[in-house]
Amino acid sequence: MDASEVQELDRAVRLHVFRRAADTGVVPQLPEIASALAQPVETIDASLRRLAEGRVLVLAPGASSIWMANPFSAVPTDFKVTSRGRTYFGNCIWDALGIPAILGADGLVDALCGDCREPMRIEVRGGGSRGEGIVHFAVPAKRWWVNIGFT
Amino acid sequence: MLLFRSEEHIARWCARRELPRGGTMTPEQAWRLARAWYAGKLEADWRRKTAEEAEAVFAELGLTGSFWNLR
Repeated sequence: MDASEVQELDRAVRLHVFRRAADTGVVPQLPEIASALAQPVETIDASLRRLAEGRVLVLAPGASSIWMANPFSAVPTDFKVTSRGRTYFGNCIWDALGIPAILGADGLVDALCGDCREPMRIEVRGGGSRGEGIVHFAVPAKRWWVNIGFT
Repeated sequence: MLLFRSEEHIARWCARRELPRGGTMTPEQAWRLARAWYAGKLEADWRRKTAEEAEAVFAELGLTGSFWNLR
């Protein structure tokens, strides 16, 4: 593949991953992506690694499985989002709010207080939001990608 | 990035981890940040923001100071 074909493949993989996650609430994984795009698993594996390198998504440590297709989480988290009649999970409170944003839809974010784990809710409706609490970023912006899991 | 009930809960969480208090914003600021960050990511022509563009988004939301610098 030449550089433009690689770029085109990576774009197709990105669009499949994010649109599938948006449409179903489930982040697709390597075998499903390869099948959907009619490409060998090795080709898609390499593409996912390039997308991870470019910080478009995050792979599970030491694996080819997608952990975060930000804002979507591939695994259940403390940041549950209900939107368009589906359930999604965000990676953090920013990403949870990113789900109604990426969908262009209203949504309910049900999170837990990071300290006491009491349930908290932020409602996104009609382009605005309503909710209680304070969002805290523990890691300075410059270091977010040093350990994106902790961030 | 976590949501907390109050400053007291943030302080307790940081103390348990021996971390300094980081940056904070209101849920409304976080929503506006999320919208600026993620709207359009399902489109074919989406691309990651550059550090300059990201810092401009932070500044528009009033998130200024070294904590929000990406460079």
